[in-house]
Amino acid sequence: MSGRHPVWHYDGRSAVRHDATITYGPQGFEMAGEGVAFQSHRWADLAYRGEKREGALYGLKSDAGWQIGLPDPLPDDLRGFLPKPQRYGGFIDKIGLVPASIALVVISAGVIFGAIKAPEIVAPLVPMSWERAMGDAMVGDLGGRICETPESRKAIDAMVARLGSKGEPVEVNIANIDMVNAVALPGGKILIFRGLLQEAKNADELAGVLGHEIGHIRNRDVMVSLLRQMGLTVILGGANPDMAGALSSLASASFSREAESEADDYSIKLMQKASVSPDATAGFFDRLSEGEEELGQAAEAFSYLSSHPMSEKREKAFRESKLPGARHTPVITAEQWRAIVDACANDPDVKEGSDLMF
Amino acid sequence: MGIGGPDRTAFEWQGNWQAFLPIALTNGLLTIVTLGIYRFWATTRERQYFWANTRFIDDQLEWTGKGLELFFGAIIAFFVLLVPIVGIQFLAQYLVLNGMPVVAGILGLITYLLLFWLIGFAIFRGLRYRLSRTSWHGIHGGSDEPGTGFATSYLWKTIVGFIPLGLLIPWASTKLFKERWESMSFGPHNFVANPNWLNLMKRFGLFYVLPVLAAILGGGALWKGGDDVGSVGAGAAAAGLLVLFFYIALPIISLVYFAAYARETVGSVKLASLEFDFTARSSDWLMLALGNLAIWFAAVIVGLIGAFVFGGFGALMSQGGEVDPVMAMITAGSSGFLIILSFLIPLMLVGPFLRYRNWAFFIRHMEAGGEVNLADLTQSETAALRQGEGLLDAFDMGAV
Repeated sequence: MSGRHPVWHYDGRSAVRHDATITYGPQGFEMAGEGVAFQSHRWADLAYRGEKREGALYGLKSDAGWQIGLPDPLPDDLRGFLPKPQRYGGFIDKIGLVPASIALVVISAGVIFGAIKAPEIVAPLVPMSWERAMGDAMVGDLGGRICETPESRKAIDAMVARLGSKGEPVEVNIANIDMVNAVALPGGKILIFRGLLQEAKNADELAGVLGHEIGHIRNRDVMVSLLRQMGLTVILGGANPDMAGALSSLASASFSREAESEADDYSIKLMQKASVSPDATAGFFDRLSEGEEELGQAAEAFSYLSSHPMSEKREKAFRESKLPGARHTPVITAEQWRAIVDACANDPDVKEGSDLMF
Repeated sequence: MGIGGPDRTAFEWQGNWQAFLPIALTNGLLTIVTLGIYRFWATTRERQYFWANTRFIDDQLEWTGKGLELFFGAIIAFFVLLVPIVGIQFLAQYLVLNGMPVVAGILGLITYLLLFWLIGFAIFRGLRYRLSRTSWHGIHGGSDEPGTGFATSYLWKTIVGFIPLGLLIPWASTKLFKERWESMSFGPHNFVANPNWLNLMKRFGLFYVLPVLAAILGGGALWKGGDDVGSVGAGAAAAGLLVLFFYIALPIISLVYFAAYARETVGSVKLASLEFDFTARSSDWLMLALGNLAIWFAAVIVGLIGAFVFGGFGALMSQGGEVDPVMAMITAGSSGFLIILSFLIPLMLVGPFLRYRNWAFFIRHMEAGGEVNLADLTQSETAALRQGEGLLDAFDMGAV
């Protein structure tokens, strides 16, 4: 035995505080004091319990109530024998705060990357019938906000048939929502918003957008996005309920840039096969890109960050897709186009939608 | 051993924020890099500091809880709560879409009642867990009751409290305070609590008097405005009164009531020959609330300044004619990242420091009188809970 140090001691049976002295060596220590049964313990049986104002607290692994406190300052040899203090817990104390933080950042980044990438592999394996059931449960009839007349239904069907996409049937509807947008939803559903119809000059302009949304469905992008959102919600939400919603929807609400470009390519191929002119769609993007020009250099930078390719680039892609010697005809007749545009005005029992929904 | 006295109170807060700051900062860092999972260990480290700097008579408290327990508690809460709720939501949606709205409504009502029951259960289990992990002189507290009885009582008493226009809310809350505390023990002794709800009714009456007063004043302003030429001014005055009522008067009444509630309930608690007291007055509570608000504002302002600095830096870099798009992307990305960080860091410190202030406030105003016989204060024989207050956390009710 090499040294002595005063301790205070609670035996865990009663609240009486004992002042005692330990006599210690490399293997362990003996404790004696008034009202304390003489006892000896090995260092290996001791566990760090925390810091008190007078000094560090240690307990016995085998006895939850037993504890000793060692008043500061501790002699160096005693400090060397005692169990190492725990600050952050577990392996962080072993390898240090900074290395542990770096390792954890790498692991977390890997987990998030996995949650973003894995759905691209998993989504095609989900049966379309499941997705369809999910889509029905999630969307329903949009609370009566779908515009439809017998003429508009025929016209839309004619347009989808003309584009002639192979695969499971898609369900295209017009939503009474004042936004220049169209969305692909789970279960092969496509919604065209009323605002887009008002902005488009003719049916060929709509054909490019419709082809694009059909592309998302054929590429299973909707399922990818859905799985991504679920994955991120579980990963971030298990521990951080308040942050999860905001972050995961931010990270997964829109399709990736690659998915957008691929959907454009798909749309271009459909239009080439169907002999529909891509010029109208290009013109549509041209009009949209006018707004972006004012942003200039900044828009260029932001297009890397935002999910949609810049309208200017999309316009170019459509414009240059024209095959030499191709003979184009309008995708549907002017009458059919009018039936689509006026569907919301002519549908007597449609409800007005809020644009906050999407 | 006699305790208390004018120069040395039984409870004393001995911490300081400078010592707490490194804990809060490293907790924030580790919580971010673990995508939030570290927060259970962060809570444990916070409590270890709070408890270890709280002196009761001659020794500090000790928090013996572990991060892993809180983590397990949260996982259990996830399965008990989130999974069934999502399932029920899908079922209800299915029922509505298939023409069974009444069944869906009944299902919704049952779910709501069940959730209410679970809140009571969570309150009980949370208190039980905290007492079982609070050690003083090596002795801890706890309870042998599972909390199901309390949960049922919580459900019906709360409903009854609301029925007569809310008049019985003080009755319900004081009875529930008594029920849960009298189920708890420390060492061999059971807690006793006898708060009298009638003592709270004068202040609770303010909730009924003030709206009437506001209506009279508002009506008066409008009526007087009718005589004047510009009734726009009267409308504005009425609107101003409404804002005053909801954002200033109502919170202050709540504070005034809650100050009385805390004094009445905590002041009625006894443990063996110990009698507890809580001394915070309405003005103390007001200062606490204002200080907490100031911390929020300070964090948001610091975040905004940071965002402006980094946002301005990013804009500056992307200007100036020919810029390589890759460089522009890196600049935009990194300044975006810095903007997020400049918000995240001050906001991550808000929670810990609010909890710090709340705990210090609680301890500063706690008093105890009477005797503690240390030899009689033997170890608690209550069963140890294996998981933390995850359920309480899930309802966002974790106070400390």
